[in-house]
Amino acid sequence: MTRSALIRFTHHEIRLAWRDWAWLFAGRRNATTNRAICGIAIFAAILHLIGYAVLKGFFERGGSVDQTALAVISVSVVLSFTMLLSQAMESVTRAFYARDDLDLILSSPAPSRDLFMVRIGMMGMTSWLMSILLIAPFLNVATFLGGVNWLAGYAVMLSVALLATGSAVLSTLLMFKTFGAKRTRLFAQITAAVVGAAFLIGLQLVAIISYGSMSRFSLFNETFLTNHAPATESGLWLLARAVTGDADSLLLIVGGSFTFFALATYTGAVQFRKIVVAALGVADGTHRQKRRQRMFVMRSVNGALVHKELKLIGRDPWLISQTLMQVLYLLPPAFMLWISFGTETQVSVIVAPVIVMAVGQLAGGLAWLTISGEDAPDLIATAPVSDDAKLWAKVKAVLLIIAALIAPMALALASVSAWGAVVTFAGAMTAASCAILVQLWFRSQAKRTMFRRRQVASKVSTFAEAAASILCAGTTALVAASQPFAIIPALLLAFVMGLTWHLAKGSRPSRPHAMA
Amino acid sequence: MRNPGLSSPALEITDLRKAFDKPAVDGLSLSIGTGEFYALLGPNGAGKTTTLRMVAGLLEADAGSVSICGVDAFANSIEAKRVLAWVPDEPMIYDKLTPLEYLEFVSGLWGMNPDHARFKADSLLEQFGLAEQADVRCGGFSKGMRQKVALAGALVHEPRLIILDEPLTGLDAGSARQVKTVLRGLVADGVTVIMTTHILEVAERMADRIGIIAKGRLVTEGTLKELSERASASGMTLEDIFLEVVGANMQPASAKSPTAHASGSAA
Repeated sequence: MTRSALIRFTHHEIRLAWRDWAWLFAGRRNATTNRAICGIAIFAAILHLIGYAVLKGFFERGGSVDQTALAVISVSVVLSFTMLLSQAMESVTRAFYARDDLDLILSSPAPSRDLFMVRIGMMGMTSWLMSILLIAPFLNVATFLGGVNWLAGYAVMLSVALLATGSAVLSTLLMFKTFGAKRTRLFAQITAAVVGAAFLIGLQLVAIISYGSMSRFSLFNETFLTNHAPATESGLWLLARAVTGDADSLLLIVGGSFTFFALATYTGAVQFRKIVVAALGVADGTHRQKRRQRMFVMRSVNGALVHKELKLIGRDPWLISQTLMQVLYLLPPAFMLWISFGTETQVSVIVAPVIVMAVGQLAGGLAWLTISGEDAPDLIATAPVSDDAKLWAKVKAVLLIIAALIAPMALALASVSAWGAVVTFAGAMTAASCAILVQLWFRSQAKRTMFRRRQVASKVSTFAEAAASILCAGTTALVAASQPFAIIPALLLAFVMGLTWHLAKGSRPSRPHAMA
Repeated sequence: MRNPGLSSPALEITDLRKAFDKPAVDGLSLSIGTGEFYALLGPNGAGKTTTLRMVAGLLEADAGSVSICGVDAFANSIEAKRVLAWVPDEPMIYDKLTPLEYLEFVSGLWGMNPDHARFKADSLLEQFGLAEQADVRCGGFSKGMRQKVALAGALVHEPRLIILDEPLTGLDAGSARQVKTVLRGLVADGVTVIMTTHILEVAERMADRIGIIAKGRLVTEGTLKELSERASASGMTLEDIFLEVVGANMQPASAKSPTAHASGSAA
């Protein structure tokens, strides 16, 4: 491959990556550069303000890097690593299975090894930029308040991004060899979802065991750290020390991560062609269902729509893995319920908001899938059924799944507090209903494969969905604790939903197409 | 199935109008009788797909009226949809369902008797050569197979008016013949078929009547013989007639329907 071809391919990859970013921050597919930069600048400014508010107190107290500071930094870096690893696994899986330009690349005379090395390199850089976008404001504020040594955090984040991308490439290759091309996609996507949530969930589980509370911040309690955490000189704080600018630690981490990434990239690129060809061969593979001898089942129109939605969701492992993240967050409250079974009557106050939050987010995803993510919109739109009946069927499918998920938890909660169970169930169904309403108000036709991009489509709906979940969770916790102040988040929730409805009404054209 | 308005024309369009940035359909009127095979031709952007999407209830008209088998399609859309089937050029089916499951779903939407629907589904899958794949998920199907599944879905509820937008695009010769045979059989049974196509030979061979639209208006219509007689010289092919009739109007005058654009179909 000539050098100019490699440069052109790199330029092509950078352009694609930038367009993805522009779409993410500008909220539209054909965003102008200025609009995207404005979006990024506003986002960065807000994070700088948050960073200042968080770090001001630490540096006012002298900014000494004690056990607590080392623990907070280490946990933040490890958390970033799990998030980036999850993201990178997604990207690597997509690179293997999504057709996009693979046919063109594989049929071109350029060595695919070199092209895939560029592609893996871009994944690493994109991961770094993504992490920097979130972490840089904190590093900048720390540099401003504490000194230039904190700039070392940028190099550490680059190392973390390279480690995560390299690990994602190698682990996906390993899965290919172990499970074969057909199953790797599913395993990789589920693993990515689990990895993304695992560290946070792990912290919560440890907090539950240690303190009987679900707050992961319990672990940063000074007494706890003095008793359990290693001394400040320990090698286990290598990452944290590198962030604070310790030259030896920094050199070791940067050197190690670059070497690892180079090896992983080379290994991945060499095998990429073979794997991509194998993956493309099964991407459209056949799935034969069990031969049906029975007659068609008599269903109402409503029943046919609900049955279709449930079947499509149940048969799509990719969508399941995407929604799995929210379900995983239900594990800590489930664990807490289990350890306090029949004894702790106040447990509902702690558990209820977590369940409500998770259900709100899950319902948002499912509602998008059923309401906006329709692969045969023309068929549904030309069916002799009223728009209201079609909508209701789709809403019912979401509510059925949600109810099936929370019913066991509500029953377990009922064993310790009947009031808590009723409140939790009601709160969760309210959060689900709010999420469904937001999706109804902002519905726009899209393929189900666009699920990952659903949050980019409308920022108002994304924020409204999140705000509604949080306020529902707050209201539920206060009602579970029989606090009259519950009226405050409840009123805020009503305000947020009203405002969202108003904004949605303004942004919708007057019935351009029939309901699909 | 209900049979409203057996004696009425299968489709009656009166002064239909739709504008996006510019008029896409501009006062179009059309009447198609029961059991007719009607081909709608026109250059890209002429307003074919926009017209048919309004008829199918997928797009709201600015003005005009549409009557399907005697039912006002705008005032009573649900009744009109009971007797109508729409097949877009890009087959819209569910990758995670098998053809049989897809047909079960469609027949459920149209409220069919399940025993009859199953019989009809089996017969359609057989006719389209899909019986072997009846229990295979559609995700791995070729475009031709997907198109045939979509077509089977359109026919399973026994419509009286079928609207097809470029139904033969992407089909191989064998599949195209299967589809044409099925469509001819339907017309012989009294079903009305309206089809847009860019393959003039298909219109020439299959259609009872041909309508040519340009700039959102019906420029001319009639049987092939009538069109030939109206053209300047006898013995012309449909292609010659089409080019002569459309003539200076070849440049698209109208904006394409956004929905039509999204599905990749030519209006």
